[in-house]
Amino acid sequence: MASKKKIRVLLAQFPLETHSRGIIAVAGMLRDAGMEVILMGNALPKQIVETAVQEYVDVIGISTYCGGELALGGDLMKAAEERGIKKRTSFLIGGIFPPKDIPKLKNIGFDGTFLSATKEEIVSCIQSAVAAKN
Amino acid sequence: MDSGKTTKEILKAKLAEGEPTPLYNPEALAKIKDNFAVWKETVVQEKDRKNWEVTPKTILGSDIPRSLLYTPIDNENLDYAKDLGFSGQEPFTRGLHANMYRGRTWTLRQLSAAGSPAEVNNRLKMLLERGATGTNLALDLATVQMFDSDEPESMGQVGTVGVPIDCVEDMEAIYKDIPIDQISASIVTHYPRNTSIIFPMYLVMAERRGIPWDKLPGSVQNDFIMESVVRSASEYIPPRDDFRVQCDNIEFIRKYVPRWNFITLNGYNLREWGTSGITEMAVAIANGVEILKDMGKRGYDPDWVGERLAFFWSPANDFFEEVARLRAVRRLWYRIMKYRFNCKNPRSMWSKCHVQTSGVSLMREEPMANVTRSAYHAMAAALGGAQSLHVDGYDEAFSIPSDVANLLALRTQQILEAETQITQVVDPLAGSFYVEALTNKIEALILDEIDEIEKMGGLVDVVDSGWLHNKASRYIQREQKMIEDGTIKIVARNYFRDPNLEMPEIWVKEYDPALAKAMMDKLARVRSQRNNEKADNTIKALIDACKKGGNVMAACVECARADVTVGEMRRAFVKAFGLWKTPIYA
Repeated sequence: MASKKKIRVLLAQFPLETHSRGIIAVAGMLRDAGMEVILMGNALPKQIVETAVQEYVDVIGISTYCGGELALGGDLMKAAEERGIKKRTSFLIGGIFPPKDIPKLKNIGFDGTFLSATKEEIVSCIQSAVAAKN
Repeated sequence: MDSGKTTKEILKAKLAEGEPTPLYNPEALAKIKDNFAVWKETVVQEKDRKNWEVTPKTILGSDIPRSLLYTPIDNENLDYAKDLGFSGQEPFTRGLHANMYRGRTWTLRQLSAAGSPAEVNNRLKMLLERGATGTNLALDLATVQMFDSDEPESMGQVGTVGVPIDCVEDMEAIYKDIPIDQISASIVTHYPRNTSIIFPMYLVMAERRGIPWDKLPGSVQNDFIMESVVRSASEYIPPRDDFRVQCDNIEFIRKYVPRWNFITLNGYNLREWGTSGITEMAVAIANGVEILKDMGKRGYDPDWVGERLAFFWSPANDFFEEVARLRAVRRLWYRIMKYRFNCKNPRSMWSKCHVQTSGVSLMREEPMANVTRSAYHAMAAALGGAQSLHVDGYDEAFSIPSDVANLLALRTQQILEAETQITQVVDPLAGSFYVEALTNKIEALILDEIDEIEKMGGLVDVVDSGWLHNKASRYIQREQKMIEDGTIKIVARNYFRDPNLEMPEIWVKEYDPALAKAMMDKLARVRSQRNNEKADNTIKALIDACKKGGNVMAACVECARADVTVGEMRRAFVKAFGLWKTPIYA
């Protein structure tokens, strides 16, 4: 690992998402892997970006199960661009979405897309995404 | 009535009364004990003796150790009349009805509804034509979280996992031409606030069709644990207020819509979020106890309230535990109603339940294997004596069920009912040394957790303090670790996983922008056509009712009559009660 600084991760969900089992499980995994995790809860894309700016995070992770990820993900990227953090931030999304949307999600700016993953896969994806942006 | 004693203390004292009638005679027991000791020492291998107790590790498991073999020694004091009795009689361990499924099979209730109000109306009618006996309505996420279709929060999610409802007009479209005085409607409202907002729209729809409220059969969920604990959301009201809204709804519905089940104490979603089968039942029962206490303060008889209480459980992978849980909770609820609340009417001591097979236990890897898992869950529910059953689709880990998955789930139910013959004999596992010992153990563990909650000040307090949120999040993270390190074996995921595994492309209900646009246009039209002064006044009256203690559902009925929308009512609740920040969990 190149950097000794702890990786800071903001975990959030879009406003209507009711499921949180996944994001709580992921929060535990990332903390175990030595990262600092801020579990934000539900918020609009703009609010998520605002918190990311204030907390100076390296990563924004979105958990989604019930749809809307392309539209809301698009808004998230737009907000990140406007606040000037898009380039230095890594974006991850996990949960349930049509597998055929993965290329579209990557295209709008998600560095990692997870339908099912082990702790090692998620952690190594974050580490390499963060390393690539630094 | 409230002596200051906990439920456990009251039951302990009451159950100690009267002469016990043990089933086993002491001489026989003494002989079995001697023989057992010799057998264990001479026949059982040393490694099995060492590992006599094994604690199963499963998804949503309860960590209850199991012996290698069960005998009468595990239940020395079995008192047939007190502990088991006959089916249809106290203490209802053996079932709520004497003839159980010979009289009437469980209700086959499959949940399915997504799309526009008009599309859902067609689907409900189609299901009724094919022999469904009730309707079951799932709401879209915007409606579940009480947002209007045109609020920014709803963007991209209108109509994706259920039907969108903004105002009475949508309710009229959904139930158009359906005889709602004959066909029972289950409306999956989840939360108390949501129930206050949505159910009055159903009532006003009935009113506009000239159907009296006392003719309406059906059920809502209305569980404050769902709203304050289980769900994730961008805004919450304080749990104490949420609990009060739950009880206001109960009071209003019990009085004015007497055929309607005003609450489904929802253990299911709490467990599926992340608790053991013990906590699932302890929390639902603790809520039931708090409700009866609150209704008592309002001057209502527990018998009158108890008759319409129903429960909702999740049966997961540990087969015998699931059967034993349903038996244990029936007996425990009976004992609480009888001894804590002094109920007289046996019907109000029934814990009727709807059961949905566990969704979290289903996997995305090789999803057809889920058909097998769900069939075992469903069989446990039937052997446990459930009243109503939904079997999950094999695609549960991806989406609301596709038509193919839904039909296959219905077939699973029908095979259980018509081919396996398990319905011929009532409570067939009773008397098994194992099942009876496990039933006792589970009843005791549930009661212990209820006691723990009551000693911390009661259910509302442990929600407010974040105790329950944190208990669940610790459970989720611990379980995740056990899945990762293989302690919990999951076939095709971490056990005999296919090295070339590929995720299947499965049907996911996609967002339809045209539907969202239609919902927004309708909202604009309704807001321009209604009497806005009247609408504003009913919203003010709702805020007033919240603040001053009037019945909130009564106020919401006036809102619905004035075509006030879901989002407008949600904001009124927030204005009155303020926002609550959920405790941050680990």
